Amino acid sequence: MKRVLVIDDATTVRLYYRQILEAQGFAVEEAGNGYEGLEKALAGQFDLYVVDVNMPKMDGYTLVRTIRQEPAICAGPVIMISTETQPQDANAAYLAGANLYLHKPVRPDTLMLYVRLLTGERGS
Amino acid sequence: MSLVKKNHASSGNADHRHLPRDRAGLLRQLQDASPDIRRWAALDLAAFPDTAEALCARLEQETGLPVREALLTTLIKIGGNAVVKGLMPLLRSEDATLRNEVIEALQQLPEAVSPYMETMLRDPDPDYRIFSINVLANLRHPQAPAWLQAVIERDADINVCASAVDVLAEVGGPETVPVLTGLPGRFDNDPFMQFCVQATIRRIQGHDA
Repeated sequence: MKRVLVIDDATTVRLYYRQILEAQGFAVEEAGNGYEGLEKALAGQFDLYVVDVNMPKMDGYTLVRTIRQEPAICAGPVIMISTETQPQDANAAYLAGANLYLHKPVRPDTLMLYVRLLTGERGS
Repeated sequence: MSLVKKNHASSGNADHRHLPRDRAGLLRQLQDASPDIRRWAALDLAAFPDTAEALCARLEQETGLPVREALLTTLIKIGGNAVVKGLMPLLRSEDATLRNEVIEALQQLPEAVSPYMETMLRDPDPDYRIFSINVLANLRHPQAPAWLQAVIERDADINVCASAVDVLAEVGGPETVPVLTGLPGRFDNDPFMQFCVQATIRRIQGHDA
């Protein structure tokens, strides 16, 4: 079973992604900020990171940059999902090392399309 | 070979306190090339509350983390309207780390922030409104639930409303449920908004996390 780490400070957003992903057979872990996300990323093996941008303690860009510098986890695909819709926001995400930048709110079918693409999982 | 362990904190303090500690001297040192001198200047400017504007201006360009921490410590210590007015524009910064620092600083100034919150929540920029809602998450102000309910009732942006709903789950009580129930209809029953509202009502009613 593929494992996804969802990192977002909004509880309802984490629950929303969890519900979508678990319904399609993925195992989900959650973190409420960048530091917690980094700790969990380093402690576990994940097939995908779903990362918010604006979070307390450590923002999403910093987290993704840090993930890309950690040899044990640097290869994991990252989807950044944010409310910010300006081109420079997407550029910042890609410069940090994200594989994909999506705008909130993300529809379930859109999320699953990209999750399957990035994890190589065909889905249940 | 002898090893000498340097005590950076105390030697820095002793060295830099030889520089002028008056208002003008400290403001000059706030622009110094040495991060250590800037840090001590930022801390010592707490004695001069009328320097809030200069401290906020420095915060916007400061890249040294310990200096930023010192600037924020002093700004929180000074508090008041001038600090809030100086910090509010920084929520528009492209620097996500700075924005988060500003949000956390504003959260510690509930009485000074409260006169500006209505304006912040009506800003034309939806991202700015979301950051203002993030301030409310830990503002510990009795009016927070009412501000959030007003956003949920009037704001046309789905992400702004979703942010308000998420924070309301933390600070609101059962009396806020009626405001939530009509929200998905305002956004064509978007699945994300439907989920947010249902999950939040369950959280408020204590059914799950």
